[in-house]
Amino acid sequence: MDLIQFQNVGKDYDNQTALRDVTLSVGKGEMIFITGPSGSGKTTLLKLVYLAEKPDRGAIYVGDVETETLRESQIPLLRRTIGVVFQDFRLLDNRNVFENIAIALRIRGIAEKEVKTKVFDTLKMVNLRHKADAYPRTLSGGEQQRVVIARAIVADPTVLLADEPTGNLDPGTAEGVMRTFKEINARGTTVLIATHNRELYRNTGRRVFTLDSGSLVGEVLG
Amino acid sequence: MSLPYSVTLALQSLTREKWINLISVLTIASALLIISIAAFVVYNIDAATRSLPERFSMVLYLDDDIQKDRIDGVITALRRNSAVRSLRYIPKEEALRELKSVLKNSTYVFEGLDENPLPDTLELKLRKEAIGPEAVRRLSDEALKIKGVREVDYGEKFLAALHSLRAGTKTVGIALIVILSTGIIFVCYSTVKILFYRRKEEIETFKLLGATRAFIRAPFLIEGGAIGLAGGLISLFGIFAFYYAILLRLSVTMPVFKAVLFPSGPFLLLPGVGIFLGVAGAAIALGRLRY
Repeated sequence: MDLIQFQNVGKDYDNQTALRDVTLSVGKGEMIFITGPSGSGKTTLLKLVYLAEKPDRGAIYVGDVETETLRESQIPLLRRTIGVVFQDFRLLDNRNVFENIAIALRIRGIAEKEVKTKVFDTLKMVNLRHKADAYPRTLSGGEQQRVVIARAIVADPTVLLADEPTGNLDPGTAEGVMRTFKEINARGTTVLIATHNRELYRNTGRRVFTLDSGSLVGEVLG
Repeated sequence: MSLPYSVTLALQSLTREKWINLISVLTIASALLIISIAAFVVYNIDAATRSLPERFSMVLYLDDDIQKDRIDGVITALRRNSAVRSLRYIPKEEALRELKSVLKNSTYVFEGLDENPLPDTLELKLRKEAIGPEAVRRLSDEALKIKGVREVDYGEKFLAALHSLRAGTKTVGIALIVILSTGIIFVCYSTVKILFYRRKEEIETFKLLGATRAFIRAPFLIEGGAIGLAGGLISLFGIFAFYYAILLRLSVTMPVFKAVLFPSGPFLLLPGVGIFLGVAGAAIALGRLRY
């Protein structure tokens, strides 16, 4: 069963085509990679899934819902089923690690007691339990990346989107991050990873979609 | 939406942006204090002038050779008028007696006076609601039409001045209240707008994580209300201090201030008024912002 479908999707920015006639589908519980050079449309494709952008052409389905048909008030509800590891992290500098992760649960109106339990469990999973009180700017790039992953998975999303999740990480840390994604996927979460790092998907046996200048130019097994 | 967490977010913002918030609170407090003092002045002028019409009377001078049955006719006609509260007939002998007792130190005025020059008079007290320049003039015209009434005298200028004073102070007071209330809403509006822009990045992240509009708006509405409440409490303290620390002390040396009335009940609503204006300003700001 397909969880995400793109049907002839196109997206333009100021007369520049970011995505051109993209058709793909991702099954429930699958883990796929989207690759391609910088500016090929990887980030745009992910943004269309979590509705940070709207398509100019075609249709996108998340579950049974066509995203274009959603009312403004329904968009937050869809976003709550999706965890996002942003390329620019989007950590809140004036809040510590615990608060940065907890916000994803508080937005959902989860009780404070459960917030504490879930945040500490997730911090343990990403090996950052000891950094709960630290502020983002005091953390290394790898630690910040793991905080973002923790925030994305703490609410048990159906879909996890990761945009260049190992961009600034050393190979050892990148391997740790990928291990975390595999664990999350093993629990049944559908994972989409946008990356230009071939090492991440080599020999994984996962589907790899290749984008070039906004067009889907290939689909292979990694 | 988690209301307690919205309160936490609002409190965090209040402490993080303390200078902007402090300036807003003091501005609102000043405006509410001016409104309170204006209301206080209007209330006292109104109270002072409200009792004056009760002492107001209209005097009707009757014809010199008027007969007793004609006087009764005039009295009956006047009693039928709904504007008349009470009526007193003063025969010219009594009028002269009263005048002599008033001018007892100036008896030379009456020297050489062979006959009583004063006419019989009727003194009318009017109902409160009938005491207005127009209504009194109408009654005067009607009285002059009654046979036997020669002249009508009432404080036309005094009455007009009294009404102008009351209407004027009320208008100025209401205008001041409306202008300053709008000003307070604008201060809250601007404050919330500034705070919103300063937290734009954070709000954008909240949205991408699945926050509803209500979740984003609630802390700003609470913050607007809190700023209004703080302004209201300071102004409440200010108006009580103005009365108890200044006016009451002044009344010891200046007895005129002893007559001043202090309606403390309505002033206790100031914190509530502050909250209302603060939330209104925040709601307008949030309604105009695109997010």
